[in-house]
Amino acid sequence: MFLLDNQVVRADWRQAKAMVTDLLAKNGAKVLCARRWDERKLAYPIKGRTRGTYLLAYFEIEGPGLNSVRRDFELDERVLRYLLLKVDAIPAGEMEKAAEEGADGYVVPPPPTDEVTSAERAVFGDLADRPIQENLRRNAPADEGDAAEGAEAEVTEAAATEES
Amino acid sequence: MAESRKPSPPIASRHCDDPKIDYKEVAYLQKFLTPQAQILSRKRSGFCTQCQRELKQAIKRARHMGLMAFVQ
Ligand SMILES: [Zn+2]
Repeated sequence: MFLLDNQVVRADWRQAKAMVTDLLAKNGAKVLCARRWDERKLAYPIKGRTRGTYLLAYFEIEGPGLNSVRRDFELDERVLRYLLLKVDAIPAGEMEKAAEEGADGYVVPPPPTDEVTSAERAVFGDLADRPIQENLRRNAPADEGDAAEGAEAEVTEAAATEES
Repeated sequence: MAESRKPSPPIASRHCDDPKIDYKEVAYLQKFLTPQAQILSRKRSGFCTQCQRELKQAIKRARHMGLMAFVQ
């Protein structure tokens, strides 16, 4: 199960879903089905979000691929949380529900406005839609130094590669 | 005074061979939390050791996914 940032979901559900399934496929997974499980108010704020959309997917994957999947989702800001579990079988009805969602004319209800974002939007306008990373930093000021250093090192390396 | 207080009955009966407790069944899991969102003891839930372990794991997963609160 994946908890997706509503900002991404609002832009386009199919694309948000493909973002997850493509990433799984890239790591050698065979995605069997994937669907919108629900859109909910979160029990506690996660990465500055108070609401999110849950994507439920079933896939087959070999052990090593699973580690790279974890690494990729860990780095992806659009995925607020994820949970990978081993199951014996796909629960009854899952394939049908996923197929229903894939059918033409299926409309995914757009997520309601995130409470925090709406309050911020009143003050900051479109700036409220800034990347989540900034929310993260604001929530965890202790990590700010490390994060900034990491980002800088990456930029330098990229520049060096381009020059050579 | 404390002696006159009846122990609260187990929340739900569960057969050990029922389908595994699902972390997505939030309404069901919520029944096994104290008002402070702590997991009920085995005594209060009325579960066997195995089922209680399953319950605990389901609640932990639900919490991780933001479906349930850690504290109230
Ligand atoms: Zn049991």
